[in-house]
Amino acid sequence: MQKTLSFREFLFILPILVIISIFSIWPILDTLKYTVFDYRLNDQQKSQMFLGDRFNTDLFNENIKYVRFYLNKDKELIQDSAQKQEFERLIDYTQEMMAKYENQTGVIELSGDEAKVIEEYIASIKEDTESLYEANKAANLANGENLQMIIAELDKSFIGSNFIGFQAYGQILTDSRFRIALKNTVFFTVVSVFIEFVLGLALAMIMNKAMKGIGLVRTISLIPWAIPTAVSALMWSYMYDGGSGIIAKIAADIGLIRSPEHLLLTGAGAMASAIISDVWKTTPYMALLLLGGLQTIDKGLYESSQIDGAGRIRTFMSITLPLLKPSILVALLFRTLDAFRVYDLIAVLTGGGPGGSTETLSIYSYKVMFGQTNFGYGSVIVLMMFFCVAAIAILFVKVLGADIMSNK
Amino acid sequence: MSKTQTVNKTQVINNAEDINVKAQRAERIWRVSITTIITLFMCIIVFPFFWILVTSFKPTSQIFGEGAYSIYAGQLVLDHYKTVIFEKGILNSIWNSFVVSSITTLYVVCIAVLAAYAISRFKFKGKSFLLGLILAISMFPQMIVVGPIYNLFTQLNMTNSYFVVLPYSTITLPSAVWIMVTHFNQIPLAIEESAKIDGATPFETLSKVIFPLAAPGVFTTGIITFIAAWNEYLLTVTLNTDKNYHTVPVAVSFLRSQFEILWGQVSAATIVVTIPTLIIVLLFQKQIVSGLISGAVKE
Repeated sequence: MQKTLSFREFLFILPILVIISIFSIWPILDTLKYTVFDYRLNDQQKSQMFLGDRFNTDLFNENIKYVRFYLNKDKELIQDSAQKQEFERLIDYTQEMMAKYENQTGVIELSGDEAKVIEEYIASIKEDTESLYEANKAANLANGENLQMIIAELDKSFIGSNFIGFQAYGQILTDSRFRIALKNTVFFTVVSVFIEFVLGLALAMIMNKAMKGIGLVRTISLIPWAIPTAVSALMWSYMYDGGSGIIAKIAADIGLIRSPEHLLLTGAGAMASAIISDVWKTTPYMALLLLGGLQTIDKGLYESSQIDGAGRIRTFMSITLPLLKPSILVALLFRTLDAFRVYDLIAVLTGGGPGGSTETLSIYSYKVMFGQTNFGYGSVIVLMMFFCVAAIAILFVKVLGADIMSNK
Repeated sequence: MSKTQTVNKTQVINNAEDINVKAQRAERIWRVSITTIITLFMCIIVFPFFWILVTSFKPTSQIFGEGAYSIYAGQLVLDHYKTVIFEKGILNSIWNSFVVSSITTLYVVCIAVLAAYAISRFKFKGKSFLLGLILAISMFPQMIVVGPIYNLFTQLNMTNSYFVVLPYSTITLPSAVWIMVTHFNQIPLAIEESAKIDGATPFETLSKVIFPLAAPGVFTTGIITFIAAWNEYLLTVTLNTDKNYHTVPVAVSFLRSQFEILWGQVSAATIVVTIPTLIIVLLFQKQIVSGLISGAVKE
């Protein structure tokens, strides 16, 4: 019995539609757009996205005036009349273009023909002045170098399109740093979620049995989950510290690593450190989720299985696991996604180091976008992450049958 | 004949007692091991906090070198707390976090309640699409919105302000809607049908009839949203570069990126900023657990 919303009922979902559209949907579409441009924030000519060629008339008008000014000045010093004429010809030539764009301001769009004219014009001015000053070397003209600098600026007023199509997608296929980041992310995700799941399930089952003091256990379990990841990462980074960290010292004392400094300075040590911190923070959370699922299982089922003489393992395999499966799948799905998107923990704990050995996709994309201000390529990395996340979700929902929509 | 019978009887009784004793012993071993495991588990959870607390009172000279690994280094000082509170402005970051999280909670809960009510009660075209969309947003990498949002905020001069709460919706709205839908679904339809018969509009039904019933759910949603906003790092570190607008996670992370890592100050700051979280958890643990579970457990 589907019906269209009446206006009054539509008002209920209007706010969420507005907020989601502006702060979730639009940014995704914008990111998609970034991926097909060579879009770099700190590069004057690439700091915006242009499908066609553009012309910065302000920059052009300002610089062409200087070109004329220097040419006029140096013309005075020339004795040879043929050369003087050549100077005058060039000055007239600058006048021509100057008149054309004098009244324009700002960056304008160019048609294909106009673009060609301007590109050729700037190139010919560059060439002609170079040869002119070469010819009059003997006259010791004062402004030769200045003129070249001005013309270089003039050249920047022509802004070629930075549309690159799917070039960046091709680039990412051969990007070894991307491959390493993907590998690190998958490794981190698989190992930490696996450990969290096994420990979490064991703890949930134990907590389900022990009724006394469960409130206290539950409260304490919430604390690691509730504190900011950045804060917990910093806490652990102190304990991992080579100079004064207790965990680094213990690991060195029992021979896991050669010296305390090695914990965060070797690739394997840093990755293990990140995983341990993540396990510490999310195992209790996983346990609480699974405990919630366990508590919905009818206790009578356990009693009847006991009467039927089933052992603990048998009971676990044929009652607990199948009935807990929906909770397990949902918990695993969201934990896997969280681990795959990990940013705060690694950013604060290792920053992706040493030597990129803990650099995950989030860290890599953030560095490219905000470190190198290359929004175009950074967005391609983010988009790849997006596809991976979608693949994980589809795997869980379609293949494993995680039922996430059922509470409609 | 009767003699053997008696012997057999006593044997049976002895055997039964034997089994009983064995069962009791097994039971006791089981209890002891459960208690041990749970105690160990809690110790592991608490240990980092304990160690940071110990460090925060040590003089700097004892944090490095020999004193680094002892619990009590002969002297307790409050220097680190004084520095982070009076010089590093850690209280200001707590205030920022409080403002940002409160605003986020207020508007996100309002929007989520309206949307969740519509999803739970109305039948309309595109409902499963809307639900799927909300779910998808909770899944996609937050990183994907950061670039465009950064550009938008730069253009509108909204960086270094509390406007950062607006993009917080990406991380908080989906779970808020989810928890609210679960709670609305648990409220029987009959109640509002009678309200409808009495002539109430949908909005009146929501505000006067359903809302009071859903209040615990709203509260739970609020707490979960508040904690999520409190813990947000990526958007604030990108959009609010000005120290005066740093929230707790960002301010704390910046304590480290100085030339020298001042572990004393780091630990004092960690202890100070953990207190608000601890209070929230202690006061609202029931709501938090119910909120977490209603998103993940099928009943």
